[in-house]
Amino acid sequence: MSALPEPGAWKSAAVCHQELFAALEPGARIGLVAREAPGTMLLWETRGAGIEVRSAPFPGFSASGVDILLSADAQALAAIRAADDAHLFAVLRAGIRSGAVICYMLSRRCVLEAQGFEELLEALGFAFMGACR
Amino acid sequence: MKPGELKLPYLFQPGQLGRFKIKNRIKYGACCVSNYNTRDGFITEREFARMRVIARTGCGMITNQGAYPDPLGEGKAYFRQVAIFDDKFLPQFERIAADIKGEGAMAIQQILHAGRYGGIDLGYCIQPSDVPQTLPHFRPPKVMTKVEIRDCIRQHAEAANRAIRAGFDGTEITSFMGYLLANFNSRFTNQRSDEYGGSIENRGRFMRELIDGIKQATPDNPLVVRLNGAELMDKWGGNSEDECFELMRQAADVGVDMISVTVGWQEAPESSIGRDIPPGYWNYLSERAKRTCPDTVITFGNRLPDPRMADQCLREGIFDFWEVCRPLLADPDLIHKAAEDRLDETRRCIGSLNCLSRLFRDLPYTCTMNPSLGHEVEPEYQVTPATVKKKIMIIGAGPAGMECAITAAKRGHDVTVFDKAERVGGSLYAYAMNDLARPDDLLSVISHYEVVAKKLGVALRLNTEVHAKFMRSVLHQYDVCVVAAGARIDRAPFENMEGADLMVDALEVAHGRIKTGKRVVVIGGGKIGLTVAEALRKNQGAEVTVVEKDKRIAGDVKPSFKWRHASWVEELGITCLTLTRPVKLTKEGVTVRDGKGVETFLPADTVILAGDSKPAHALFHEFEWMVDELHGIGDALIPRGLEQAIQEGFRLGVRL
Repeated sequence: MSALPEPGAWKSAAVCHQELFAALEPGARIGLVAREAPGTMLLWETRGAGIEVRSAPFPGFSASGVDILLSADAQALAAIRAADDAHLFAVLRAGIRSGAVICYMLSRRCVLEAQGFEELLEALGFAFMGACR
Repeated sequence: MKPGELKLPYLFQPGQLGRFKIKNRIKYGACCVSNYNTRDGFITEREFARMRVIARTGCGMITNQGAYPDPLGEGKAYFRQVAIFDDKFLPQFERIAADIKGEGAMAIQQILHAGRYGGIDLGYCIQPSDVPQTLPHFRPPKVMTKVEIRDCIRQHAEAANRAIRAGFDGTEITSFMGYLLANFNSRFTNQRSDEYGGSIENRGRFMRELIDGIKQATPDNPLVVRLNGAELMDKWGGNSEDECFELMRQAADVGVDMISVTVGWQEAPESSIGRDIPPGYWNYLSERAKRTCPDTVITFGNRLPDPRMADQCLREGIFDFWEVCRPLLADPDLIHKAAEDRLDETRRCIGSLNCLSRLFRDLPYTCTMNPSLGHEVEPEYQVTPATVKKKIMIIGAGPAGMECAITAAKRGHDVTVFDKAERVGGSLYAYAMNDLARPDDLLSVISHYEVVAKKLGVALRLNTEVHAKFMRSVLHQYDVCVVAAGARIDRAPFENMEGADLMVDALEVAHGRIKTGKRVVVIGGGKIGLTVAEALRKNQGAEVTVVEKDKRIAGDVKPSFKWRHASWVEELGITCLTLTRPVKLTKEGVTVRDGKGVETFLPADTVILAGDSKPAHALFHEFEWMVDELHGIGDALIPRGLEQAIQEGFRLGVRL
């Protein structure tokens, strides 16, 4: 089974990319699941005190409560686990471009914008402000 | 027969679809939607005028843009998409059908239910399954019930019947781009467990019932289905090519009359129709469709913009009809030029995807190459004979100057173009020579101008710099002077920087006039800087660092091409330092300072300045009292891009 990164490693990656997460409003949530076995999701969740990381069961897309869900295949997960903190977003971006990572948007654009996702989505390779809807 | 028809005999041979005889093997594809219509689905005079131009393109079969078939607008994908869910729309479709048939073409109406990409005016879209969006501007999904599926099929059948009653000869449904039909067909979006999901047989059930429903509603009229030969979604769990062709077989088995082979979804992680895809790249899909469905008429045209290539494909049996749309937006006379053996005059679609970029911003589409597109209804955009014939001098043989020159010459003016360079093209030539996508597309713009200017008798005076002294020497010889001299890289922001004179100009590098070393720093991460950086890295193996003062690179790049630069930069291993500025240059390199004030020394043999551009405003002041009319166009006014250069050149040319 494809292993998700350790929560500690996920937290330190977020701290390393503070400039992307600082803009997120409290309550913004980003999930990561293994595409082949999406039983558990690893969450980045913004709270008043900063970023929290935790694992949670993945109840399906609509009940997941995340704004963005990254679904990575086994190879991409291995690359994500192996990436050092500073290069995590480059690895995610490459995974999204190659199709190894699917980035699902579970919140609408207006919500993502209000939640402060612009920088983070740009870092994932999306020209977020490109489309006007 | 006309001379070009003899050269392209397969393209201009008659064809047949159902009971309809077709004058040639060219099908105008629906080409997305124009966004020229009203918000509630009515066709405007602007659209009628555009379609009259399309009707006159010479195509044997013309597909009108996709209309959504449901009253709620769940199928509506675009801001100003036309609707066909009610008889109140009939009179408008009657006009379009009459215009198409009046020009001797077979008229097809596309019915476009956008599914996953629909519901633009709603808070949701409908899909077979709950698969979230991967692009943030689309709506969250709502899963269709079986009752809703049956209702949707009924709406399609009624819409088809309505189109036929309006006078269309046939109808078309589409799974191109990832619309509703594609959502049912694909494993990626169809994860249902009932009879509409699971096996490919079940996933194809919606399509088969849709075809059957429309055929029953319009038994005497052909039905076309657009089906992907490749979704380009297989990496996300979508259909393999084998599955795509199995679906084509299913469509053929239930009696669809024509299959239009297409490629890709809007959200696909791979490019399908952009400038980075070589013409002819996808032909193998059509070839396979012909083998898979030998008794069904096959039409194809993705990234196949050239009539000569299409003729060759028809000769080889790769398809039965050439399906073409964007090349006809770029040049509505393409087929006539092919027939008259004047293809060298063609304005080629350069695949900039300006059209789609605008649609995704809810704007009416326009074309980089065709300034008239979308303005057909406006007399101000018509090229009409000039009332007063003038002698016009144009300074600058770039796209703005040449567009203005040929437009003015068509109107009967006597035009001379001056340029200090030895060739036509201006900065576009430099850009083309460094472009990693398809230089040939960009160079075609230049050759178009050269050919047409020569045929129109436009005088070219190259290697001739126009300055005040020169202007005094030609005083009173010209009625009009048009400054189209483009822009230069602005050195002013760096004039007080130590070592600034060591920086070389990016345009000089791009033109090949300056050779660079093996370690290069490019100051400026806009399109000029990135293009030069990428070419130096890829073609010369230089170690390249880009220094950009803004938060992101590619700030002035067209949205549809931004991702391409971003991925090239990463693939080529070009380091980009953003929020960073140069502070000091030496022969050994450049010291830069980041947003936090931290200074870093970057060793470099060559430091290239590719910062902001400065227009040629000085010429306006110098020439103001020397000529009757003085105008400016393109980058000489405000540095922007190819589209604005061509648009402004044309707009001035039609009113001089």
